[in-house]
Amino acid sequence: MNRHRPTAAALSRALSRAFSASASAAEPSSASASSFPQKLVTRSNFEAALAELRRHVRAADFVAVDLEMSGVTSAPWRESLGFDRSDVLYLKVKHSAEKFAVIQFGVCPFRWDSSKQTFVAYPHNFYIFPRQELPTIDRSSYEFIWQTGSIDFLARYQFDFNACIREGISYLSRRQEDEALRRLNSGDEDESSATCYNSKDAGDIPLVAMADILFSERMKNRLSEWHDWLLQPRNREFQFQGSSNDSKQKFQTLFFMMWPAVNLIGFTSHQLRLIQLVVRKNFKDLTYVHVKGDNVFSQHLVVYTDSKDDRDLLIKEVNNEHRKRAEKKIQAAVGFRHVVDLLSSERKLIVGHNCFLDIAHVYNKFIGPLPSTAEEFVSSVSKYFPHIIDTKILLNTHQVLRQRMKKSKTSLSSAFTLLCPHISLSFAALESYVKVEVEVDDLRSSSWNSGAKHDAGYDAFMTGCIFAQACGYIGIDFKLHSPSESLAENEKLQKHINLLYLSWTNADIIDLTNGNKVTASVEYSQKKRYSNVVFENVVLIWGFPSELKARHIRECFSKTFGVTSVTFVYQMDPTAVFVQFSKTKLVSDFLSLMETLEKNNDPISVLHPLSELLKGGNTRAATYETYKQICGTPISKVLFADQAEAFGAKRKTDFVESSKTAMDTQEDKNPVSENSVFVDLLSAPWGEKAAQAASNYAGKTKPGMIDNLENDSFHGCLSGDEILNSVYAAEETQLVRTS
Amino acid sequence: MAVLQKRLFCSAVPKKWPVKQVTKTNFPESLEEIKRHISSSDFVAVSLQKTGSFSAPWHRLLPFDTADTAYSKAKSSAERFQLFQFALCPFSLENSKLVAHPYNYLLYPRDELKLGMPSYSFSCQSSHLTSMAREGFDFNACIYHGISYLSREQETAAKIRIGNPSPSTLVVDSSFAPSVADSIFMERLKSRVIRWKSACQKPKDSRNEVLMNSLRKLIMGSEYYGSRPSINLDVCSERQVQLVLEVLREFSDELVPLLIPAKSGGTQAVRVVLASSKEDKEFFEEELRCREEEENKKFRGFREVIDLISASQKPVVSYNSLTDFTFIHSKFLAPLPPTIDEFASSLRPVFPHVLDVSHLMKVVRPLRKVANIPVAISYLNNHFFAPVDIEISHQATENEGRNHGLNVIRICHLFAKLCSILKIGSSSTMSGNDVLLAPALEECTNVFNAFSTSSEESIDEDISVWTESTRKVSCEHLVFLWGFGSGTTAGKLKSLLNKSHYVSSKEFDIRLVDKSCAILVFWQPGLAETFLDVMNNSEEITGSLRELVSEGLRAASYETYKRVCKLPIWEADLGESLDRALEDSDCLTEAHSKATPKEIYWSNDDMINLDEL
Repeated sequence: MNRHRPTAAALSRALSRAFSASASAAEPSSASASSFPQKLVTRSNFEAALAELRRHVRAADFVAVDLEMSGVTSAPWRESLGFDRSDVLYLKVKHSAEKFAVIQFGVCPFRWDSSKQTFVAYPHNFYIFPRQELPTIDRSSYEFIWQTGSIDFLARYQFDFNACIREGISYLSRRQEDEALRRLNSGDEDESSATCYNSKDAGDIPLVAMADILFSERMKNRLSEWHDWLLQPRNREFQFQGSSNDSKQKFQTLFFMMWPAVNLIGFTSHQLRLIQLVVRKNFKDLTYVHVKGDNVFSQHLVVYTDSKDDRDLLIKEVNNEHRKRAEKKIQAAVGFRHVVDLLSSERKLIVGHNCFLDIAHVYNKFIGPLPSTAEEFVSSVSKYFPHIIDTKILLNTHQVLRQRMKKSKTSLSSAFTLLCPHISLSFAALESYVKVEVEVDDLRSSSWNSGAKHDAGYDAFMTGCIFAQACGYIGIDFKLHSPSESLAENEKLQKHINLLYLSWTNADIIDLTNGNKVTASVEYSQKKRYSNVVFENVVLIWGFPSELKARHIRECFSKTFGVTSVTFVYQMDPTAVFVQFSKTKLVSDFLSLMETLEKNNDPISVLHPLSELLKGGNTRAATYETYKQICGTPISKVLFADQAEAFGAKRKTDFVESSKTAMDTQEDKNPVSENSVFVDLLSAPWGEKAAQAASNYAGKTKPGMIDNLENDSFHGCLSGDEILNSVYAAEETQLVRTS
Repeated sequence: MAVLQKRLFCSAVPKKWPVKQVTKTNFPESLEEIKRHISSSDFVAVSLQKTGSFSAPWHRLLPFDTADTAYSKAKSSAERFQLFQFALCPFSLENSKLVAHPYNYLLYPRDELKLGMPSYSFSCQSSHLTSMAREGFDFNACIYHGISYLSREQETAAKIRIGNPSPSTLVVDSSFAPSVADSIFMERLKSRVIRWKSACQKPKDSRNEVLMNSLRKLIMGSEYYGSRPSINLDVCSERQVQLVLEVLREFSDELVPLLIPAKSGGTQAVRVVLASSKEDKEFFEEELRCREEEENKKFRGFREVIDLISASQKPVVSYNSLTDFTFIHSKFLAPLPPTIDEFASSLRPVFPHVLDVSHLMKVVRPLRKVANIPVAISYLNNHFFAPVDIEISHQATENEGRNHGLNVIRICHLFAKLCSILKIGSSSTMSGNDVLLAPALEECTNVFNAFSTSSEESIDEDISVWTESTRKVSCEHLVFLWGFGSGTTAGKLKSLLNKSHYVSSKEFDIRLVDKSCAILVFWQPGLAETFLDVMNNSEEITGSLRELVSEGLRAASYETYKRVCKLPIWEADLGESLDRALEDSDCLTEAHSKATPKEIYWSNDDMINLDEL
């Protein structure tokens, strides 16, 4: 396989060159050919493409990016829920970025061509794959999850999985590279090294077998023959006395760097060990050197040095050589990260569409492990990418653009159709449209359609077009725009730059410059209906009998604590619910009641309304803080109850107790004040209708929620808001990926 | 190498064994064929292509694993990873002639029914995918044309979810005794059914037919099921279902009841279909059966093949049965149970005879350390005279380029050679049953069963098989050590411990498990306990051991390791996992019953080689 690749690559490169050459000869950069493939980059043409991309990025005004991943959520409950707190949301994004692989990376530099009054876009589509190129990096970064739904989605758009896995470009993050170099320095990496064997290194094999003794003796003679010949003043052709042609081939005299040496060819490893021993025992001025390389280049040599200093020099040289080789190998393994480094070092304005998850992936794959909090994350992101703009935020927060969007969807493809009809539908370009021409290799077009929807390169192109057009609408005139002036400094963009949606579902926005979290005002998003969740009042319950639905659980609580005790019950997945009490005290009341009920088995306990919930003996409960901890674990189980179990909840009392202490500290710190006004979500007037709509929907949009057990708790029995919300969540995540 | 090649060349094996490749497109027509082959063969060999194996060196099966910990490891990997290829080969052995029918199925867990099944997500290791790519595996073919499936348990759940009516027999519980209320319910039901029936059977008045029909529909809930009239009778409980069926028994010549499942399980209504005659009723029932069969095929997908193997009850030959069958159980039967005993008893009815070739290989002593099938075959070729002629039933297919799943033929081949060398089933024609009677196979049949029962006797008998350097040690004599600096070797640790005077070098041996953790085995009972006591009571500790402990050395018993596997805590480093298990155990009330001590082999040459890890 390996042997074939270079030829195949060369062939394809030659072909593409021939093709592009003939094409450009026939039609030197014209607008008529509007459908040609975009630039596909795999490991065979990566070097060349990188050089070219470097040029384009340097000249670019901004660079649009888009990623395709192997999935987004490893379990239904990992989706971002309507009322997730921002720290929990971050943990969910972090988990996703850690567990899934990036399989395609779209980069599209946009340059304003003032002579033609148009933007020129250079869409690049990179197939990448986390292939393990260095042997000693931790294995965990080479294990990733596929989400079957995402794969189906990619397959629907003819994603080429073979290209990705066979030809995808691999990469090392900065952290992994540092680690590899550190290992090289500390010398515990022995692979692919050249080593000089000094006195001790050779294994002590006692010469017992007669054959070994004879062989050693023969080698000793040979080497001393060679040694003597070297020291003779007249240099005649060296000839082993009476030796056959065979041994001549095995002992090739050559120069190793500047030292004379014999190359040992065709010996078994046992024989080589014996020779090593012979050299060590009998010759002070000979050194055994093993240059490990690729299989072909692996060399075993006996080198002559005329003094101790000379010998030290040899050792130094060999080690240097080895180091260089290893460094080169590490450099080669950096692979696709060169592109990310390029984007970072050029400090260009990066444009993405709903790109918080994308940025998290970029950080995790190419920089290092994700920090544990969103604040730390954004502060280190801004070091690498000082200017990021999210078109989804721009479209949703800028007054002018919001009017133009007229409340239509801001998913990538619909925004593209709406804002850039001149590109997407090849409409005649009006004056107000910002023109974009596409250049791939030597082909140029003003109305380009790659025909490949939903691949990263085309999506990046669409994102860039949306951004260019949006700039046009908010009054940035590129005609007056001087090349020296950075778009990122433009005052019209200042209010929108470096803001990202932590989660679009919740309209939680995070500011990359200072880590502040803002929630988009309710005006923008009707979905933000859980904004008044009081997290101290929330209890998480799981492991209850599977036939119990949110409705039943609500009843249990109403019977126990009164009708007004519970403000909402939200079914997270078939095995777990969130319950929000109306008072914080009820949380601890419930947890301690649960404990007593579990201990006692008397008739009163059995008849207690809560006993229905506790039936089966697997029911557990915990506060929102525990939920956060569970979200933070690297384990990924499909059902929440299994996840919580794996988290280490061996005994329910642990949980109740730990949550109680968490409660106490919570209460001390946080006298429930600022948030205590809540909206009773269930009394929302449109609840019923929504429920109807949602249950029609649920079957289609939320296949993932259904687990393989016999229960079907998720469908039909939730109250309206809950379903609607989960449907929204699902739809949105789908859209996020779709875009 | 040259010798090896020559031998391979001589052994009358065609260079290319044609394996029939099966994808979504040719799956339906291949079913009949494979069914025929399975029933005409004596064995079925299987070989699975997984998307990953173990995530860290110590996660794989290690020589010191007991059945429980081995199962936990296999379970964790079966739950996370996915199968992309399932190669299957029904075969028979006759006078050193191997007649094989190899198939290779491409699998992909596509959500065909839009129910989130068979799997929401699965893990992959890029090393596995890369090596598959190197062998020319076509991922596009797998994802676009792989056959999907549902496990038995998922099928049940899916049927309820989809809510297709299922025919019900009119057999009623014998303990059935209607109460007064029941009788009233039944009377009303009966009169309703009679009224509906007579309305349907009235000579048709063509003028008002349409009007009458809609009226009937409105008033009586009468509908059509296909071309036959039907009526839906709502029920509130399973009890009522019984009552309805009891009523319908009277009309069993004409009426066919169908149960309509409720979304949350149970039954929602009974649909009664009226047949025009007894013949028509039989015809209708046949039609239902066919439709159900079709439906089932759609649900099961590839699992149909698993069910065929299971129904044949033929012995299944696998190279590494614990790994393969944990995968098979979790993908095609049901989620894996927590313990190996439950696993074995759940698997037994489905696959009563599972033969493990890697266990069988251990009977031939030099093969004990061989971990790969081609090497084992060439070893046998070189050292034994056991020619096996392979005859493959089908010709090379049109898909010349793709010939995956060869491994399954190698397994057949190896099995045949071993049988011939070990004189298993020495009669000229050996059938599956003969083979199962062979004593040498006892050890390799259903290894998980043998594992799970306290199997001291069988192990004792077999001790002669093992080299003299293998010693049986109880898990109680094992101690895990971690927290030493990186780069420490087993030898260094041994000498350090030796210097501490708590243990003398003759009394123990030590091996590194991974770079973070070592395992210590004591040859005499009680020493391990003493050592742990010393380690954990730092008051008494002195000398170099004290120094080591101050540097962070920790120790734990085998029980802790068991807990790590059982919980499970799969950190990348074993030391890390043991630390976490100890933390967790602090808040654990010691409710764990002391399990019977298991014994494992400690073999000097079964060294855990870090290079391999």
